[in-house]
Amino acid sequence: MSEGILLFIEQRDGVLNRTSYEAMVAAQRIAAETGDKISAVVLGSGVSNVASDVAKKKVEVVYTVEDGKLAEYTPDGYTAALRRVVEKLNPRYVILSHTYQVRDFAPRLTSALGKSFVPDCIGFRVDGSEVVFTRQIFQGKITTDVRVSAEPPVFASFQAGAYRADLAEAGDAAASVEALQVDLSDVTIRTQPEEKFQEAKQAVDLSQAPLIVAVGRGIKSQENIAIIEELAKALGAEIAASRPICDNEWLPMDRQIGSSGQTVSPKLYLAVGISGAIQHVVGMKNSQTIVAINKDPEAPIFDIADYGIVGDLFEIVPALTGEIRKAKE
Amino acid sequence: MIERETLEMDVLLVGAGPANLSCALHLSKLIEAHNKSAKEAGGKPLDEISIAVIEKAKEIGAHQLSGAVLDPISMKELIPDFENEGAPLEAPVGDEKVYFLTERGKISAPIIPPPLRNHGNYVVSLNRLVRWMGEKCEEAGVNIFPEFPGAHMLYDGETVTGVRTGDKGIDKNGKAKPNFEPGVDIVAKVTVLGEGVRGSLTKQLVDRLNLDRESDPQVYSVGIKELWEVPDDRFPPGSVIHTLGWPLDPHTFGGSWVYGMRDRIIDIGLAVGLDYRDPHLDPHHEFQRFKTHPLIAELLKDGKMVRYGAKAMPVGGWYTMPQMTADGVMIIGDSAGMLNGERLKGIHTAIKAGMLAAETILESLIAGDYSRAKLGAFDKRLKESYIGRELYKTRNFHQAFDKGRMLGLVTAGISTVTGGRLPRRLPIKAGHQHMQKLSTPDGQGKADRYAGLKYDDKLTFNKLTDVYYSSTHHEEDQPSHLKVVDLNICVDRCTAEYGNPCENFCPANVYEMVETGDGNRRLQVNFSNCVHCKTCDIMDPYQIINWVPPEGGGGPNYRNM
Repeated sequence: MSEGILLFIEQRDGVLNRTSYEAMVAAQRIAAETGDKISAVVLGSGVSNVASDVAKKKVEVVYTVEDGKLAEYTPDGYTAALRRVVEKLNPRYVILSHTYQVRDFAPRLTSALGKSFVPDCIGFRVDGSEVVFTRQIFQGKITTDVRVSAEPPVFASFQAGAYRADLAEAGDAAASVEALQVDLSDVTIRTQPEEKFQEAKQAVDLSQAPLIVAVGRGIKSQENIAIIEELAKALGAEIAASRPICDNEWLPMDRQIGSSGQTVSPKLYLAVGISGAIQHVVGMKNSQTIVAINKDPEAPIFDIADYGIVGDLFEIVPALTGEIRKAKE
Repeated sequence: MIERETLEMDVLLVGAGPANLSCALHLSKLIEAHNKSAKEAGGKPLDEISIAVIEKAKEIGAHQLSGAVLDPISMKELIPDFENEGAPLEAPVGDEKVYFLTERGKISAPIIPPPLRNHGNYVVSLNRLVRWMGEKCEEAGVNIFPEFPGAHMLYDGETVTGVRTGDKGIDKNGKAKPNFEPGVDIVAKVTVLGEGVRGSLTKQLVDRLNLDRESDPQVYSVGIKELWEVPDDRFPPGSVIHTLGWPLDPHTFGGSWVYGMRDRIIDIGLAVGLDYRDPHLDPHHEFQRFKTHPLIAELLKDGKMVRYGAKAMPVGGWYTMPQMTADGVMIIGDSAGMLNGERLKGIHTAIKAGMLAAETILESLIAGDYSRAKLGAFDKRLKESYIGRELYKTRNFHQAFDKGRMLGLVTAGISTVTGGRLPRRLPIKAGHQHMQKLSTPDGQGKADRYAGLKYDDKLTFNKLTDVYYSSTHHEEDQPSHLKVVDLNICVDRCTAEYGNPCENFCPANVYEMVETGDGNRRLQVNFSNCVHCKTCDIMDPYQIINWVPPEGGGGPNYRNM
């Protein structure tokens, strides 16, 4: 006879994933209506701190599964361990948060067990003794109720943000923490985790830069960007661009200023070879001082510039760079 | 293989414009009436019928652009009490004028030519009208899904079974991004294409089933439009001016409109026939020149331009309409060329076509038969309706201009008097075939055609500035939705033969020949400027540009246009 709710707690290097508390809120609210008891499970190696944190919340018991094979997340290790935990405890519901890790192992785990998985839920309601899960389909245009007719345990993961982590109820007294003996000696881990890395976020937040040198189509070719980089370096400014430069991939897209790029208001905006199409201007017109260099005296950039230089940027920019270096010496 | 979700509907309508919204609304009313009378008479009511409308724009109406003057004939049938039900009408048409313009002067038409008479009609914003129709549909239980472009038709053999919507979250190299969501297969008993002018699915369907085998090639005009806010009520709501002549040359079909809207807004536009000869011609520039005419410049003095947009329209009429039904599918509205090119009105025909389509669909639902044999009743219904009669009467109108304006005006005049009867059916060729090569007398020597045109940012604006006022926005990191089949033709042939007219006919600065740095040039497609007017797909002389819908939600935002 299946009973209770098993809540999966995700951790990495002894740090709890906050969305696990969001899933805990879902579990606590389901329990409040169905009367089920909640057990939490933490996998890993050296997870007693995480477990005792979780034990402060309103749960019946916190199980830990400690094993060297679980020190780092692998789909083989987690699937095998959780499978054995679920078989041992035989809960009615297994609640998870819909993290990348869960997306990775849960389909495999549930199909190995031959059980149903309702992923990415945003809510639930209780109908009689049955929990009906709510999830969105068709790019969030339609919300559907999902009823599971298969035998328990039923697995359900909740979308990040579906519940607020700070609403997880604390328990009256600390729950007991029990080590669950799960033998993984026969499990082969077929993947070898490499060193973790995070792809660099947007390299620069141009909106924070006090000085910006922006380059436009007047620069003519990619090789010439170097003289703008020299100028920016001399000034200690960030480099930015108008759209054609980024379209040509002469500078990365996150350097683009304008209606389809970033909006900035630095102390100084030095526009080089930028004609000043309205699409660019809306992204920089609030700069405190605008200096424009352009060979076309009719260029609209001069309408908003505080200082304008009409002339050939290939003469002016190197000279300007030289003067700035001299002044800084 | 990408796994796709499937959504089942009874009736699927592609494109939330006047034709499809009228169809959806009328159909839901007809079903309700049918079930009520069936219940009373002890007959069999229909099971719950699901009706869905998909739309590529971010919100209903965002891609709707028209003059517009509404002939209320069909709206009165669809929503009899439309005025009291809150239809957003600007004003009944009041003072009407027609001028023939010369460069500095104007000649008043002694009488308003009958096709241009608008007594009893209303000046409207199509954007607002369509938004309102969308609300009416939702009240009636119709499902409307904005941000869902139709990417492909779904077939079972030659029977249309629905539409696959566009994928979301594909980067510019065609790879899935983290937010990738595959398009959905929406299957339906009947699919109604009301995509508007030069519909991308309609194009696929007509080609595959050869639905235009008996029709003439469609011909188009492109309308360039701005909204202006003026400081006083110099041009009261409901005022109407139409002009012919300058700035268009005698080989170019077209004319202008100036309509008074509420709140001191003036709606001004120029329609340019997309069967002009000179490859240098630029519809946007023609419109900018038009505004410098003393009549117009005076009207707009001290005003402020607040919106810009462009949209093609089908003007070929009766003989260019394709077969409008096939197994499981119908084509209505501008997609089927139902616009009256002589009156330059297509909203009332679209609304009526939607209603007639709804009547046909009801019969199909009752019979459980969605084949051409059953749906084909629509072709007959439409042609026998007052819309059919109206289109039949003007069947030779645009064709008359095939040989130039003067002869055209005379022939069209005769046609108006005789109700379309001319000694013979006039021949017509596709618009792009009229474009002349630079080596011909009509194609050369006009490179300086816009030498006198200056942009003062008060009365006249360059294209890029105008595009800004269309509020066009596309996700930047996606493949271009303007598929140029062979970029070599642009450089190897087009530059010499036509001088890359895509740079000219596009009213949104999408096409640009840029230096590659090694002395050569290449075509750069600034697709995120695209205002979805379809001119490139229509006018490209090599027919190598294929317009397909971008990721859902992209495009202009024609609020109040």
